[in-house]
Amino acid sequence: MINVIQYIRPRNIDEAIERMAADELVPIAGGTDLIPQLRRGRSCRLLDIGRLTLGFIEDIGDWIEVGAATSHAEIARSKLIGKCLPLLGRACGLIGSAQIRNRGTIGGNIANASPCADSVPALLIYDAELKLLSRSGERRIKLAEFISGPYRTNRRPDELIVSILCRKNIPTTGNAFIKLGRRQAVNISRMSIAAIIEMGADRIIGSARLAASSVFPVSSRMPEVERMLYGATATPELFRIAGEVAAETMVAKSGRRWSTPYKEPVLIGLTERALTEAADL
Amino acid sequence: MSSVTEQSKLTAAPSIKIEFRLNGIPQKRDVPVNWTLLRLLRDDLGFLGTKCGCEIGECGACTVLFDRRAVNACLVLAPQIDGAEIWTIEGLAEPGAARLHPIQEAFIKYGAVHCGFCTPGVVMSVLALLLENKNPDEEEIKSALAGNLCRCTGYKQIIDAVKSAAESIGAEDLVKFGVNAGGRK
Repeated sequence: MINVIQYIRPRNIDEAIERMAADELVPIAGGTDLIPQLRRGRSCRLLDIGRLTLGFIEDIGDWIEVGAATSHAEIARSKLIGKCLPLLGRACGLIGSAQIRNRGTIGGNIANASPCADSVPALLIYDAELKLLSRSGERRIKLAEFISGPYRTNRRPDELIVSILCRKNIPTTGNAFIKLGRRQAVNISRMSIAAIIEMGADRIIGSARLAASSVFPVSSRMPEVERMLYGATATPELFRIAGEVAAETMVAKSGRRWSTPYKEPVLIGLTERALTEAADL
Repeated sequence: MSSVTEQSKLTAAPSIKIEFRLNGIPQKRDVPVNWTLLRLLRDDLGFLGTKCGCEIGECGACTVLFDRRAVNACLVLAPQIDGAEIWTIEGLAEPGAARLHPIQEAFIKYGAVHCGFCTPGVVMSVLALLLENKNPDEEEIKSALAGNLCRCTGYKQIIDAVKSAAESIGAEDLVKFGVNAGGRK
């Protein structure tokens, strides 16, 4: 049984904001995360934002703006995303199944704040920022600061996520996104990693960015690894060491947990593979 | 709290009026806001072709078309289909026609149906795929069907049936689902 106390479908964003200021409401778009939670006993008053004008992908100069209710399928299909934010397109194309991707939205993936959310590592690579709206106005916040813990965010109860902005011209010569799961379909990530590298013909790395999910309590970039890659020459040995640094950082930040004996070698391997693919070695 | 209290609270869920098209036919219903599309189809409208499997979006047995896209009916709240176009397995074959829909015929020809429980959902995923892509390759077929579990066939016969259906299907077999309509972007 699903416990929905109230269901409200606002006609426009202004009405949605007014409703959220007045009552404790949970926004629902695709519902692919929320409905299983409601089935497990969570009860709420729902505000259906699925029909508002929050499904869009726009080039706004230095940024690509993606409406919060844009489905994973639309993002994976978008030529603009494929050209400017290829890691995001790939990550969204690997979420769940076709059915889940047709309903699930990027805003929902972020709001649910699962430590294994597939879109988040890719978004972090592109310096993603969120646009939140409430009766007191617009607030812009970095995604890295928005997600405060596993399944926790810094969204105020009266705020609605309206869009996600990604920086579009991050210097890149190659990129990689690897998702690891127990099986290939309808898969909840065991770990995923996104990487971009910028380097010249001499293989000297100008800059590198890495981000991972299910490694730290909150998906995040790996500055320790990024720093050691800066100015170094891309070789298999370097990427192996980068994997080891990633694993050391994981243990330092997340502690030794029941899953650590599994995750340590896996993170070393995934980091190595992602960098090798991004550097086209 | 006792389960009786819990139950009475649940049955008191408010209702909402919705209008939608089901298999091309306009419908008006008054539906409790905590019902899923799956429950509306099976318990209210009596369309039992859409199967109830896992109810958490893992198995695909409840796959239907929602504005031309495959979705899990167990993960859609009934109020969310207001204004939408829904197609279920019952809508595929023309009423009274001598033959089933080409996708269904291909499933029979290739023995892609064993126990049959997953079949309606699989067929709806195939329909959604062919609406978008007339000539899918094997990888595209596998990707489109990744959200549909079949524990009998091992998928080989299903994939063969989809390849055959893709070859035999014509625009006239897809037009009623709105193949050329823009749909919602």
